[in-house]
Amino acid sequence: MADNKIFAKYTDAETFNKIVDYSSLTDMWESSVKSCGDSPAVIDEGKEYTYAELDAEIAAFRAVLTDHGIKAGDVVGLLAPNSVGFIKAYLAINTIGAAAVLLPAHLDAMTVFGCSMKFGLKGLVYDASLEEKTEIIKAKVPTLPLITTAETSYKTVPAVYPDENSLSTVIFTGGTTGNSKGARLSHRAVVRGTKNGCYGIKEIFNQRYFLVLPLTHVFGLIRNTLAAFYTGSSLFICRNNKNMFKDIATYRPTIMIFVPALAEMALNLSKQFGRNMLGEDMKTIICGAAPVSPYLVREYAKLGITLLPGYGLTESANLVSGNPEALAKPDSVGLIYEGMEYKVVDGELWLKGVNMMDGYFGDEENALAYEDGWFKTGDLVRFDEDGFLYITGRTKEIIVLSSGENVSPAELEVKFYEIDGVQDCLVYDITEGNAQQLVLEILPRATVLKARGVEDLDAYFKEEVEKINSTLPAFEKINKIVIRDSDFVRTPAMKIARNKNGTLKK
Amino acid sequence: MALSRNEIKEKLSDVMKMVLSDAQPDLSAIDESSRLVEDLGLNSVGVLYIVIAIEEFFGIEFEDVGFDDFKVIGDVVDYIEEHI
Repeated sequence: MADNKIFAKYTDAETFNKIVDYSSLTDMWESSVKSCGDSPAVIDEGKEYTYAELDAEIAAFRAVLTDHGIKAGDVVGLLAPNSVGFIKAYLAINTIGAAAVLLPAHLDAMTVFGCSMKFGLKGLVYDASLEEKTEIIKAKVPTLPLITTAETSYKTVPAVYPDENSLSTVIFTGGTTGNSKGARLSHRAVVRGTKNGCYGIKEIFNQRYFLVLPLTHVFGLIRNTLAAFYTGSSLFICRNNKNMFKDIATYRPTIMIFVPALAEMALNLSKQFGRNMLGEDMKTIICGAAPVSPYLVREYAKLGITLLPGYGLTESANLVSGNPEALAKPDSVGLIYEGMEYKVVDGELWLKGVNMMDGYFGDEENALAYEDGWFKTGDLVRFDEDGFLYITGRTKEIIVLSSGENVSPAELEVKFYEIDGVQDCLVYDITEGNAQQLVLEILPRATVLKARGVEDLDAYFKEEVEKINSTLPAFEKINKIVIRDSDFVRTPAMKIARNKNGTLKK
Repeated sequence: MALSRNEIKEKLSDVMKMVLSDAQPDLSAIDESSRLVEDLGLNSVGVLYIVIAIEEFFGIEFEDVGFDDFKVIGDVVDYIEEHI
């Protein structure tokens, strides 16, 4: 098991000793309110909230929740864009002892309804701008409390101190549909995941953070937002990502949490316009959620910015490892944090430990994900002689885009099987230069197509795929179609051998 | 200063070169009907990148348009033409 003392040399002793454990989000939040009450906690839409002010709003929102019958042990949905309202509701739900299921804002009304059933929600807190997504719930379960983030109360309800093993947060992983899995994170996992993210960085307390990643994603919630609060820092919420560089110029953040595609964009724009788009105060970039190119580490070093690659999973409440030696070992995702137990089985990293989830919602998913109590990450890894971790490939059937979004080819293929004349199909990704493209390979069913009088296969499939594409979020849309004239390579069980096909792969 | 549609397209092609870098060596194949996501392979960050780069290059400011409002390159040219 790792020991966080290995990170001591990357900061001064005083800072290192301030990185301590809390047993729940309530303890963590109250500690920051106590020590940084008058400091800004959140800046949203031009308004600044100090820790003390935000704490008062959270206490009032606990009263709102209580008035709607929400109590400790309940599970509550949270459907809101990045906003102070999201943060207030999230902390109120947690500090009342209930758990928050984070529903991505792009879900449709049917999926939101499906989630309310699947997770047994006792209430749904939503942002008024997403009202239409509650319509089906309103019609089918009129008794379910629907609470807007703007509701407030003249009363307050004191915080409770949940047991460290009680459920805090459910985050979706592996896709965007109702079929995707909900990872169950305890207070212990969330708080420890937050703490671990603070190691290996020289200046970590009282920083200025900037939020562009979604709060429904583990990286946006835990590493970006909760770590900001853990360290008594302020958090600027960027409401429209296209304005991020203007917002950065005004707010002057000191630390940024980026997926590689955003880090690359900021770097290219800086080169193009001959000025550091991240501003002169920027010191640190934490980069993860997809493979980080060593090129980014080196180029940012030239701008005087330390880019630290890390490796994490939704299932591990964010970070498993972080790399404080990025310049010396830019290919590595770093050293594994204390509290993680790990072993490597047939090249694959298996994990258990304090910041791991308590399983997914759903027995079937758990049966596939675990073996002997170990979570199988699906990542192929190696360690070097200094204990640094390297990701060398994946065993799982998930495509990780450079934007950090995950695509499940199997879930996508199901949609294309519905096209008349598709006998079999396969989705995979190719990379052309910097662009990652999704390819759909189709094995046509000749008899059906003939009976339908289809002559131009290309045109027919293009049109049909287009119809399905129009229902998908941008990152799941198919970019290229390949029509096969022979069968796929198959496994002995006659399944398509995912790793032995892919005509366009280089 | 008003730019002609052709001048806009020329300048936009510089933006596309930067955003796509070596992804699309055949820039001549991009025309007004090229679709941003399906044909050019842009993900959410890629589209964001284009919007930010266009604002800088053309000195215009996008209003609160959703990225879904731009399906093809022609839509982007239209938008720039209207707002420049």
